[in-house]
Amino acid sequence: MTGHHRKTSVAALSAALAMSFAVGTAKAEDTIKVGILHSLSGTMAISETTLKDAMLMLIEEQNKKGGVLGKKLEAVVVDPASDWPLFAEKARELIEKDKVAAVFGCWTSVSRKSVLPVFEELNGLLFYPVQYEGEESQRNVFYTGAAPNQQAVPAVDYLMDVEGVERWVLAGTDYVYPRTTNKILEAYLQSKGVAPEDIMINYTPFGHSDWQTIVADIKTFGSAGKKTAVVSTINGDANVPFYKELANQGIKAEDIPVVAFSVGEEELAGLDTAPLVGHLAAWNYFQSVDTDANAEFIDAWHAFIGDESRVTNDPMEAHFIGFNMWVEAVEKAGTTDPDAVIDSIVGVSVPNLTGGYSAMMPNHHITKPVLIGEIQEDGQFEVVWETSGLVVGDEWSDYLPDSRPLIADWRAPMSCGNFNTETGKCGGKGVD
Amino acid sequence: MISGYLARNGLEGRIIATIVLILAAGVAVPVSNLVLDPSHPLHVPTYIVALLGKYLTYALLALALDLVWGFCGILSLGHGAFFALGGYAMGMYLMRQIGTRGVYGNPVMPDFMVFLNWKELPWYWHGFDQFWFAMVMVALVPGMLAFVFGWFAFRSRVTGVYLSIITQAMTYALMLAFFRNDMGFGGNNGLTDFKDILGFDVQADTTRAALFAASAVALAIGVIITARITGSHFGKLMIASRDAESRTRFLGYRPEMVKLFAFTVSAVMAGVAGALYVPQVGIINPGEFAPANSIEVVVWTAVGGRGTIIGPIIGALLVNGGKSWFTGVLPEFWLFALGGLFVFVTLFLPKGIVGTLQDHIGRRREKRQAEKAEEAEAASAAEPTPVGAE
Amino acid sequence: MRLAGPLTFAVAIILSLAGVAHSQEKPLREIVNSFAEARNFNQTEEIVAELGATGDPAVVPVLRALSEGDLHVRKSDNQVFIVSGRGKTLTIIDPLTGEMVGEEGKRALSKIRVNNGLRRLIRDTIGGLALGSPDPAARLRAARTLISNPDASSLPAIEAALEKETDPEVAAGMMRARAAAILVSERPDAEKSEAITAVAAISTQDALSLLLGFRGQATGELREQVDRAIARVERVQSYWAMAQNVWYGLSLGSVLLLAAIGLAITFGVMGVINMAHGEMVMIGAYVTFVVQEIIRTSAPWLFDWSLAIALPLAFLTAGAIGYALERGIIRFLYGRPLETLLATWGVSLILQQAVRTIFGPTNREVGSPSWMSGAFEIGQLTITWNRLYIVLFALAVFAVLLFVLNRTSFGLQMRAVTQNRRMAAAMGIRTPRVDAMTFALGSGVAGLAGVALSQIDNVSPNLGQGYIIDSFMVVVFGGVGNLWGTFVGALTLGIANKFLEPYAGAVLGKILVLVFIILFIQKRPRGLFALKGRAVEA
Repeated sequence: MTGHHRKTSVAALSAALAMSFAVGTAKAEDTIKVGILHSLSGTMAISETTLKDAMLMLIEEQNKKGGVLGKKLEAVVVDPASDWPLFAEKARELIEKDKVAAVFGCWTSVSRKSVLPVFEELNGLLFYPVQYEGEESQRNVFYTGAAPNQQAVPAVDYLMDVEGVERWVLAGTDYVYPRTTNKILEAYLQSKGVAPEDIMINYTPFGHSDWQTIVADIKTFGSAGKKTAVVSTINGDANVPFYKELANQGIKAEDIPVVAFSVGEEELAGLDTAPLVGHLAAWNYFQSVDTDANAEFIDAWHAFIGDESRVTNDPMEAHFIGFNMWVEAVEKAGTTDPDAVIDSIVGVSVPNLTGGYSAMMPNHHITKPVLIGEIQEDGQFEVVWETSGLVVGDEWSDYLPDSRPLIADWRAPMSCGNFNTETGKCGGKGVD
Repeated sequence: MISGYLARNGLEGRIIATIVLILAAGVAVPVSNLVLDPSHPLHVPTYIVALLGKYLTYALLALALDLVWGFCGILSLGHGAFFALGGYAMGMYLMRQIGTRGVYGNPVMPDFMVFLNWKELPWYWHGFDQFWFAMVMVALVPGMLAFVFGWFAFRSRVTGVYLSIITQAMTYALMLAFFRNDMGFGGNNGLTDFKDILGFDVQADTTRAALFAASAVALAIGVIITARITGSHFGKLMIASRDAESRTRFLGYRPEMVKLFAFTVSAVMAGVAGALYVPQVGIINPGEFAPANSIEVVVWTAVGGRGTIIGPIIGALLVNGGKSWFTGVLPEFWLFALGGLFVFVTLFLPKGIVGTLQDHIGRRREKRQAEKAEEAEAASAAEPTPVGAE
Repeated sequence: MRLAGPLTFAVAIILSLAGVAHSQEKPLREIVNSFAEARNFNQTEEIVAELGATGDPAVVPVLRALSEGDLHVRKSDNQVFIVSGRGKTLTIIDPLTGEMVGEEGKRALSKIRVNNGLRRLIRDTIGGLALGSPDPAARLRAARTLISNPDASSLPAIEAALEKETDPEVAAGMMRARAAAILVSERPDAEKSEAITAVAAISTQDALSLLLGFRGQATGELREQVDRAIARVERVQSYWAMAQNVWYGLSLGSVLLLAAIGLAITFGVMGVINMAHGEMVMIGAYVTFVVQEIIRTSAPWLFDWSLAIALPLAFLTAGAIGYALERGIIRFLYGRPLETLLATWGVSLILQQAVRTIFGPTNREVGSPSWMSGAFEIGQLTITWNRLYIVLFALAVFAVLLFVLNRTSFGLQMRAVTQNRRMAAAMGIRTPRVDAMTFALGSGVAGLAGVALSQIDNVSPNLGQGYIIDSFMVVVFGGVGNLWGTFVGALTLGIANKFLEPYAGAVLGKILVLVFIILFIQKRPRGLFALKGRAVEA
């Protein structure tokens, strides 16, 4: 496997060199360029490199099918190096210098926030594939990951109804996604009659690696005689030591289940999951989902990456959906012009990998099924519950007072990302 | 005209040339971007303007570090903190300028406070709606921090690596603090989504050009300040404290005060650099406090050549230009190139690029002078010989 | 009431054991095979309940297999089997007799799905069966389960089992289980009063929550008694919490010590600001990964020894890289410590990216050997095995290093070279070789740390970055050039961090520790254990 890795890297190096030499003589008219803006170095490389590879695969497959509008697609890969201002710089480079038709990229909220003004200014298109905190809807951005109502709220419902949980630990990394999600969940739980003293909220810094105290606190909190669960919005890197500590302190899923929103197959690949069987995750896709489309996708992925042990995960599916939506919208509009694509993409519906169709809604979020899976010994998830239908991504949460009256609709004539239904005006409280 | 003024003020020719060059770039780049047609071969695209503007602020930061490290011997591994604090002060002003255009339309509070259910603006956010106040803070906050930190550290005679490590501890602690959402600085996301500065749209090409010109002017002023300080009697004391602190003290000077002054001035320069950086990149977040960022500043300075005034500027431009280019061209391998560059520079150009060049030129001049002297000597020695010989 | 289903069920079994229950109605195999018809978790639950009601110990392996996801249905004839093995073909075993039946392709079998609720039910069912188990340890476990999940309706069963109990330890456990159950029952006050005393004597978190729950319904004298009991338990708890905190601090401190101790040599003794130190730690972790990977594919029985094998290899690999680094780069930079910062920073970028290119950017799985998994309890202290071993390992590394430095001729040469290079050279010591070996030693120790840290942290290219700053803080706080300083520094910072964490939270706690270091350096500009003498000024 390592051998292959080196081989692809050498190939990538020569390709990159060839590309750099070819820039001067590029035949820009023959191809449509697609930008890939994922960190390949730094702290986020762990998660984002896979998405870069997934995008390269999708583009390659599309080219085999004849490309888009009769032209081949050409991937432009850059490395924003987990450096947020560099994301903005690279986004600008992609749109202004490389003239890409669309960009697929970003993982963290801050990287998205950093590039937003650039996409707005230069009228580019960004497909953002990761579950996020909501509270945003921008004309140039398509959110193909889950909004809180497509992940967090159903997971809590499941724990309450099926597992009979009455006491809640909301544990997260201290940044905007956990903060917002926990605010929403706290309001939601209280609306369901959970007493404030039955909710414990805990924040830890990025990359937190010493979980002894917090896991012990969870254990104590959980022994108050009521069924307790942990809702984890702990960010990628810190999860491995967290789960290792859980396993070692003997917190079993039967006693205190942990449901996570940022732990997927990729994160579990770095763990021995035998002691974690039964802990949960809520996503819109699991590699274990048994559909033909998914089997095909996994086979294609393994063939592309040359390694049978590499897993697929939810953000990859989001890119799969987003990419196909973009292709279809471009075909429908007959051009890659961003304005035309923004108009044509709303309502586009493409197959997802879980056996249904996902559609782009006017708020630039998509419809998805919500799946709850339990961790298995082989590092995969087994679906134990799923929503009966598709859930529409809700960009402005109903559980936050200031965002309750807001809606987004990017179709003419409204064409607004924060329309206030109380004042009937676009722009938050609508003062101007 | 400018060069004449500078020369009258006793600056070296090389420094004057640098200042003129920076100011010329400060005029030429924006003009080319705004006036020339995009198809014109000399047209500078907007993204290059933004990029170069960012480099100029980095150059100012590197120059600030060089003032304390190159001339005063204080290796600060926390200069990124002063840069970031200046940036946050500017960012807070820009946030307040958003007004009702935020997504929730709250006229006073930034969006991140609204959705975290903050009831009112924290006290330390007051006043930042005024540009002058924000500008005072840009200088005052980093300056005060440096003064207080330096006051304790230098008087306790904390030196060498101990000082380096506690400056690192300082920026690390600040990073952790700013990451906390409870601090009221937007946590990990920091401050972003700026709309306008002094009433001008931050995204407009003209504003960008103006910010670029402002950065060039700030850098030029930075060069003048550094040159004036290092060229003065005080500058001699700085070098003396760098090279032989105890001896300087025994001579009756107070090296800690010299250091404190240099450290504070340097922090203010870094703060100004940060303030110019933020509107150009459109975001300020706690990542700027990361110890690795401060180490990078040290690297720029070392690559360019510490203890020189031009060195850090060249270093910052070169390393960052390389980083921008490599991350686009060799996305998977640029770290090898960058890492290799650092190793190469330390091993083969120990005084940095500028330092090595200066040495080289200096040696050649010496050699030439020596040759001349030899020739003259030979000539003078040769003169009498004919008399005696033939 | 929570767990009402499973527990009532467990109780039914217990009742059956106590001789109150009904006779078997259906043959076991028929019930087991009915798993094939279960369409959802509820139906599976009913079958588990039915199996439990038989009270037959033969169902225990079936239930255990179901809980572990090893119970499968053969699609062709709807027969239920326990499967074992991995891969495309699985061995199938008769669920009741335990005999091997043969092999079957994975596709021909379908797994009977379980969720947490089912696993819980199975655990309680097996636990209930265990109250009558011939194995005293199993009976004790069952009693303990009943203390954590008391249920009034299980009282008769406990009392029946108690009468038959001969083992005094198990009997004590059952007495406590009985007391716990009485507190939630309708028994008279006198019995409850006794129960309060008995429960208070347990003094665990479970006991406290039980008492707190009971307090709400207690009146009069009972209320006073329960208040006193609660106060007592809380006091005991607070002592244990203190001890637990010290342990956490020690454990964190030992992690810091491991991470910093290599740096104490390269930075502290040699004066090289080694920014690539973290990457040496990372390399040690990756060596562990490679060793485990080879063991997994070619010699799985060696897995428990994987760390022992990885240790020398990690030491040698990181040491060799350190040696090459010293010979290739650092030896040209002696006397210019700040330049070493620049060069090693470059090296650290290269090493990180090299590992990323070779092993990929994602986390790699490093497993724990069985002897390092899980936890044990001393009184109410929960001590996880891996933390305990890391503490011991850190102490061992420190002791060995101290021995090498102070008691071997290499150590003597090393100290001589660092204290007075020219004099040492004049005495015939080959200083370049000593430099290289010292740097290799420091790097090798960092590699050892990597093996240990792979047990508690991510094995990713970023591993080293997470420890480098803390390591520098520890070395500087302790005093450059002094191993004991590093030792005391690491443990102090670890314990301080853990005592601050409950009050200030993880983030503020860490900030406070950093501020403390900054202030401390003002007081003692050369760290905790400053080197004295004229050499330090040079």
